Amino acid sequence: MKRSLLFAALLCSAIMASAQTKSDSTTKASSTDSLMNTLSSPEKGEPVIATFKATRLIFSQTTETVKKKELNFLVIHRFGDIAGAQGGGKTFFGLDNSSDIYIGFEYGISDNFNIGLGRSKYEQLIDMHLKYYLLHQTTDNSVPVAVSLFLKGGFKPYHVETNIYDNFANRFAYFAQAIVARKFSSALSLQISPSYVIDNIPFPLAPTNENNFFAISAAGRLKFSKRMGIVLDYFHPFSRFRNNSVDPKFYDGLGVGLEIETGGHVFTINLSNAQAISEINYMSNTTSNWAKGQFRLGFTISRIFDFNKKHKSAY
Amino acid sequence: MKHIGLILLVWFGINQAGQDIYVCKNAVVNIYSKAPIEDIEARSAKGTSVLNTTTGEVAFAVPIRSLKFEKALMQEHFNENYMESDKYPQASFKGKINEKIDTGKDGVYPVTATGVFEAHGVKQNRTIPGKITISGGNLTLTSEFMVACKDHKIDIPTLVFKNIAETIKVNVTAAYSPNK
Repeated sequence: MKRSLLFAALLCSAIMASAQTKSDSTTKASSTDSLMNTLSSPEKGEPVIATFKATRLIFSQTTETVKKKELNFLVIHRFGDIAGAQGGGKTFFGLDNSSDIYIGFEYGISDNFNIGLGRSKYEQLIDMHLKYYLLHQTTDNSVPVAVSLFLKGGFKPYHVETNIYDNFANRFAYFAQAIVARKFSSALSLQISPSYVIDNIPFPLAPTNENNFFAISAAGRLKFSKRMGIVLDYFHPFSRFRNNSVDPKFYDGLGVGLEIETGGHVFTINLSNAQAISEINYMSNTTSNWAKGQFRLGFTISRIFDFNKKHKSAY
Repeated sequence: MKHIGLILLVWFGINQAGQDIYVCKNAVVNIYSKAPIEDIEARSAKGTSVLNTTTGEVAFAVPIRSLKFEKALMQEHFNENYMESDKYPQASFKGKINEKIDTGKDGVYPVTATGVFEAHGVKQNRTIPGKITISGGNLTLTSEFMVACKDHKIDIPTLVFKNIAETIKVNVTAAYSPNK
């Protein structure tokens, strides 16, 4: 009796012991895992980066800003009409003409605040701008969109024979925009930008032409590889004068392009009907029609220079 | 009956003695790329690690987004183009230290850990060398190893080939505290 009891007890403890080592080893393994999980709980609400690769698409500003102490050098070019009366073989499909050339700089005062300066061939417009990245989209969607504010002042410096610029203030025009963008996936980003244009002397000179009007832009990018994407850009001015005018007739802007990023550069090669590059000009003055062959080849080169002080490498 | 009690008591005692788990929440991770045109480095102090000195189990993870570069554009490209950190948010190692460590004895122990290293969603079986330093009950692990971009399907386009090294040096320092 005593012996069998001892035997039973030993057996029992052996089973218990083996069960315990088993459960012990599994809890140990999972305890490492669960410990890791508690340690590396994913940080919530990180800002979404790289909604767009550059500060411009075709016409539009994007929500992106140049980061602190970075300088963005921009060359934007629009050729002449590819087809239609001004295009075709005689102008080598518009390449002999340039409807607008823009050279500009953007500098990052901080990661979210930029100043910019540029000059267009079109209207010889010299413009300065401020851009502020107000709201960053977050990974947890607590902020579902990115919002940037953009302000631009333009100045037309050229000499005129008429008296329109007798009042110096007439040389100025302004543009304000709120850019709302969302990066839906690493490939797809879309944005919509309510805008307002103020022009002290709006062209064409007509009594019904408005000094100020609302406009809207919509644009998007679809990446098909890590470094290349299709961009689409559209704008529409809510201007009674422009919607009703017959001669000249105004059209909404529509552009389609290919965006290529190579590291420090972003190139955009595009086709669009708008002749001008600066918002003040193209919102007011797009009289070219895709259907009449009045679209053109254009490109944007954006090159970032970094002025952050380099510390000595520890490598 | 006395014996059973004794056996059980001893058994529990053995089990209780084996809980030497150490954790680190602020491990420092440095990565270096040395290429003809430029040297690039990035640093994070947000690595996490768990080390079980009894079983030798070691786990390590670092959020890719936490690696900070000198140039903002580089950091963006690192996340967007190379590591795809939205898809693969962290790099990790999980394995076992091959050598026995006596946490009660101060000293520097050269060790190797064998396990799975994961980066950019690609798992690789690796044996990684390291060093464990024990001094006055404090436990520090350092390790330096190389990661070949192509082993983890990280493509470097020919255009920027001279800017980015094919093999990235990774440097890890974790100072542990006992898990309570």
